Amino acid sequence: MPAGTPKQMALVETQDLVKNYVLGGETVRAVDGVSLSIDRGEYVAIMGASGSGKSTFMNMIGCLDIPTSGEVRIDDIATGDRDGDALAELRNQKIGFVFQQFNLLARTTALDNVAVPLIYAGLGSEERRAKAKAKLGEMGLGDRLDHSPAKLSGGQQQRVAIARALVTDPVILLADEPTGALDSKTSEDIMQIFQTLNDQGITIIVVTHEAEIADQAKRRIEFRDGKVIEDVMIKKRRQTSA
Amino acid sequence: MIGNLGQKASGWIVNIAIAMTALRTNLMRSILTTLGVMIGVFAVTLAVAVGSGAQVSVMQSINALGSNMALVFPQPDTGEGGRRSFDRGRLTMRDARAIEKQISGIDDIAPQLRTNIQLIVAGRNASTNAVGTTPGYGKVSNLVAASGRFISEADVRSAARVVVLGPSVVTKLFGDYDPVGETVRINRAPFKVIGVLESKGSSFGNDNDDIAIMPITTTRQRFSGDTLAGPDDLQMLFVGFEDGVSLPTAKREITKLLRDRYRVRGKDINPFTIRTTEEFMKESAQVTGIFQIVLVAIASISLLVGGIGIMNIMLVSVTERTREIGLRMALGAKRSDIRNQFLVEAAVLCVIGGAMGLIFAIAGGTALTVYADFPVPIGVGVGIGAIIFSAFIGLLFGGYPAVRASRLSPIEALRSE
Repeated sequence: MPAGTPKQMALVETQDLVKNYVLGGETVRAVDGVSLSIDRGEYVAIMGASGSGKSTFMNMIGCLDIPTSGEVRIDDIATGDRDGDALAELRNQKIGFVFQQFNLLARTTALDNVAVPLIYAGLGSEERRAKAKAKLGEMGLGDRLDHSPAKLSGGQQQRVAIARALVTDPVILLADEPTGALDSKTSEDIMQIFQTLNDQGITIIVVTHEAEIADQAKRRIEFRDGKVIEDVMIKKRRQTSA
Repeated sequence: MIGNLGQKASGWIVNIAIAMTALRTNLMRSILTTLGVMIGVFAVTLAVAVGSGAQVSVMQSINALGSNMALVFPQPDTGEGGRRSFDRGRLTMRDARAIEKQISGIDDIAPQLRTNIQLIVAGRNASTNAVGTTPGYGKVSNLVAASGRFISEADVRSAARVVVLGPSVVTKLFGDYDPVGETVRINRAPFKVIGVLESKGSSFGNDNDDIAIMPITTTRQRFSGDTLAGPDDLQMLFVGFEDGVSLPTAKREITKLLRDRYRVRGKDINPFTIRTTEEFMKESAQVTGIFQIVLVAIASISLLVGGIGIMNIMLVSVTERTREIGLRMALGAKRSDIRNQFLVEAAVLCVIGGAMGLIFAIAGGTALTVYADFPVPIGVGVGIGAIIFSAFIGLLFGGYPAVRASRLSPIEALRSE
């Protein structure tokens, strides 16, 4: 943990976070006592080899997975004592997810895909359409509202997914290998979008195994065998990405 | 609060939209699943309608008899025990007159002797059932002459060779021609046609218009053979009561009178049987009720099979869309949102199937009414009931898959391929 971070500023905070899996009668400790804190406005890359526990860690701070022990606090809210529905509400309001495989609903227009989280936020259809349209506009897809995912390129699909992640104005954007299914040119576009979003003040946490992607972040946390082995601030070289 | 309600309503609209998309995606599968529910709802709706049609039909034919009436038969009333060969029944014209004189509240009585007759006119012939009776028969059986007149007291006294024909007999013998005043030969003797009855239609395929009525005295003289015990005996006696007379009381009084006349004591078996229209109605309501239950029970099996089809397809749908469920949960869907989504999908399948089943049932019911002369009433109530019931089937059989979907762990659902 970087020294001198005031505790009350932490947006994401974990305390002795542990996750065990039972596989074939054997207990595997995927995340092994991780304590760290991420502040508002940070841009964090979480790195590590396959099986290092980085994805499991990510799923727990995204409230998708329940820790075996330890605690996750999001925006000063303890998640341990919340039930499934309360966690769903927390994800809806505070967290935006971007997945490697985009995870868009097939045979559903870009607009309707982006509007899905707003359904669960309880917004009426007019408001949903308006907000989704605005977000797609910001992602440069204002002319693709009625396209289904099958008619969009990979980069466009990921931008729809980002619009969907941001449509509820979350405080954190969690991206799990967001460029894993994209070519390098498109990857750069997506990373550029992340950079811009972070500049606007959105906290971004990216799980990746690609060094170039991680280099875009301000902070790099490396996992191995369920433990954090490195946690460093990166000096920004803005001119390379700008 | 109003905004909240609006949001709730819009949530359901979204669920219906999601369901329609999912069902369209697997159109063939959806249609086949719907077909199962359709057949089930069709069968149950038609069974309910046929059952109540039977009830209506039976009640109509009982009402055609006359609404407030007792029937006395010369059959020993052995109750549940069945008839013993040595029990002989008796009922005579003198009994009939005694009943008419001594029992209060009687509107009219009509003794009856039935026999099959052969009618011939100008080379055409017809056979029918002749009822030998008195003028009171018209009143107790709601029979009116449409043209000419009914039999009279004078006809009975003189054992006149006159006959009143039912419309079906007239059609067979005379076509459209009004035969009043014509002569027909009945079992070789000439009879004068004095009237034609008003049509009473048919019930259960039984033609109520295939009948001939003549004075009881005439029947006795010419046709009654060896079937009766004595020259004064009757086959049946109709006793019509005035409105408001209690039939059970009247039955008790007649029983007492006849028991006295035949000197029946204690537990000895009565040589006569009395049945009232009230009893007929109760019994037939019971019988048609059982008929309806059996019919609906059999039809329900097909609905059950349809419901199982729904459950099967919904389980497949949940499995196929596990990843979508995970995604929706990640985006903030609560358990109830996921559960409702799949419930609505099942309900939409069922309601579409139910509506189509109802349409086919209405068509089938109409066809039965028109071509089989059997009333099959499918009212608004049955229609609404069918739709609500099919939605209920959807919720019932879609419930388990929907709850299963809602219990998935978000991360496991997301990871599934």
